[in-house]
Amino acid sequence: MLQVRRLMVFYENMLAINNVDLEVPPERIVGVFGSNSAGKSTLMYTLSGIILDMRRKEEMAGGERITVAGEILYRGEHIENLGPSERARMGIVLCPERRRIFPESSVLDNLKIGAFLATKEQARSTLEFVFSLFPKLREIRRRPGGFLSGGEQQMLAIGRALMAQPRLLLLDEPLMGLSPLIQFMLMEAVKQIRQERRISILITEQYARPVLPVVDEGYVLEHGSVVLRGTGQELLENPDVTSAYFGV
Amino acid sequence: MAEVQRRKERLDRGIKVRAESIYAVSSWEEAAYLLAPRIILVLGLLLAPLLVQSPYWKRVVTVVCVYGLLGLSFDFLAHFVGLVSLGGALATGVGGYASALANKALGLPVFLSIPLASLAGGVVCTVLLLPCLPLRGVYFAIVTLMYPLVLSRLVEAFNILGGTDGIPGVQGFGGPWAESYIIISALLLCLFGLRRLVNEDLGLILRGVKDNDQAVKASGISVTRYKAIAVFIASTLGCLAGAYLAHLYMWAGLSLFALDFSILPIAATVIGGGGTLVGAVVGSMILIPLSELLREFGTLRIAFYALVLMGFIVVRSEGLMVWAQRKYHQFERWVQI
Repeated sequence: MLQVRRLMVFYENMLAINNVDLEVPPERIVGVFGSNSAGKSTLMYTLSGIILDMRRKEEMAGGERITVAGEILYRGEHIENLGPSERARMGIVLCPERRRIFPESSVLDNLKIGAFLATKEQARSTLEFVFSLFPKLREIRRRPGGFLSGGEQQMLAIGRALMAQPRLLLLDEPLMGLSPLIQFMLMEAVKQIRQERRISILITEQYARPVLPVVDEGYVLEHGSVVLRGTGQELLENPDVTSAYFGV
Repeated sequence: MAEVQRRKERLDRGIKVRAESIYAVSSWEEAAYLLAPRIILVLGLLLAPLLVQSPYWKRVVTVVCVYGLLGLSFDFLAHFVGLVSLGGALATGVGGYASALANKALGLPVFLSIPLASLAGGVVCTVLLLPCLPLRGVYFAIVTLMYPLVLSRLVEAFNILGGTDGIPGVQGFGGPWAESYIIISALLLCLFGLRRLVNEDLGLILRGVKDNDQAVKASGISVTRYKAIAVFIASTLGCLAGAYLAHLYMWAGLSLFALDFSILPIAATVIGGGGTLVGAVVGSMILIPLSELLREFGTLRIAFYALVLMGFIVVRSEGLMVWAQRKYHQFERWVQI
C-alpha cells in the first residue's frame, strides 16, 4: 500500500527524520511510537504532503529551510512531489494532531466538509457508518464543533477523515489527552474501521499501551530513526519498549 | 541508489559565533564585523544632507526620517506588542498641534516645544486609545484608523485650533542644517533606544503579551498597563515626528492628520522587514525617494509605486532587512545528504 524508503527530513540543519524505511501493507494497522520530538508528527506531515506546503510558506517568510529526501511510494507510484490535496484525492487522508476540527461549524457540517471529495452516494453511506461507529455524534450533530469535549472532538476528527474516503488513514496522536475509557473505545473503533472499510491505518502515539494490542505491526522511533520494528506482540514483549513507552 | 541528493545548508559564520560573546571581540576584524552595519547606517544618515545638493532633496532626507520614525513606531507596536495600529496620523496630528500650541500660545522655543509636545501628545494619544486596549487585530486597527478622521473633522466642524486654516506662524528651525540634523539625530536615538528597550525586561513582557496575553496575565502582570506603556512609547515617537513637521512647515493644519502618515510607514515596514526595527527605517529610505523619483510620471506615479510595493510583498515577503541580516550572519553551502 505505502512504502517509504530512506526518508530524510531536515528542518534547517536539524535532522527530524533520519533514513526511515517504513511499510504499510494493505488492510493492516501499523503503529509508530516515540516520545516527544521523536519525529512522529513530521513523519505524518511528510506522508500526507503537508510538509510541502509548510516548506513553501517558510520559504516565503524567510524562515527555516525544510528539506525532504527519499522515496514515498503509494500503490507503486512515486508521490514525493504531490501536494496534500492530490494525495488526499488518491486516498491518503490525515486526521491531524490536536484534531483541528472547524470550531464554528456544527458536527454535521464538519463531516460534510470532509466529504468534499466523495460522491453523494459515498457521503450518505459514510455518514451512516460514522454515526453507527460513534452514536454520540448523531445526538450532538447540530452542536458547533468548538463546544465538544476532547473525546467527542476526536471522534469528529476521525469521522471527518473517513468522509474523505481514505484508502490509507493517517491518525496522528488520536489518543492525546483522553481518558483511558475513551482511548479504549477509540481503539475499538479503529479496529472496526479496518474491518468494515477494508483500509490501511497508520497510527502514531506516544503512549503505546492502548494502541499496541490493535496494531499488526509497530515501529519505535527515536530521534528520527527507527530503532525497533516488530509485530504488536513482539513489541509488547520487548523489555525496552515496556520500560520506555509503558511508563512501567 | 546512484543518485546523489544534496541540500543547501545554512551555518552561522564563525566570526558571528565568536563575536557574539563580548570576551571574543579580540580582533579588529571581529569588532568591525559587529560595528560595520551600525556605522554604515549612522554615517550614511549623518552624511546624507551633505551629499545631496539641492534644498529639495535635503527636504526629502528629512521626510525620510519622519516616516522612519513613524515606521519605527508601527513596527514596535505591531511586532513587539501585537497591536496593529493604523493610527500614525493620530500621533502626527496630535503632536503637531500640541507643538504649535506650545510654541504660539505658551511662547516656548523650538527645543522645548518639540519634546514637550511629544510627551504631552503621547499622553493624549494613550488616553484616547486606552478604551481600545483590550481590542486586538483588526478591531484595534479600525479604531486607530478612525481617530485621525474624527479629530480632523472635529477641528473643522467646531472651527477650533484655527479650523481649516490651521495655525500659521509656528517658529521654524532657522536653517537647513538644523532642520536636517535635529530629525536625523532624533531618529538615530529612537532607533537604537528602541532596539535596546525591546531586549530589556519591559520588552520581554511586551513580547510575551504579543505571543500569549493570557499566559502573561497568569503570571500576575497587568496586560493593559504594559500595553498602555507601549502605546505611550509608540505614540510619543509619532508625536515627535508630527511636532517636527509642524515646525518644519512653520504651520500646523489638518494635513497633519493625512492618511499618508498611517499607511506609508506600514508599507515601509513591510518592505524593510517587520520585527527588525531598522527595517522600518531602511524601508522608508527606499519608499520615500522612490515616490519622489516617480513624480516625473505624473498620475501614473501611484500605479508604479503600487506595482513596486506588490512585487516586494509577493517576491520577498520576509522583508529586506530580514534577508540581509541572514546573509550577513550566515553562509550557505551544498552538502550531500
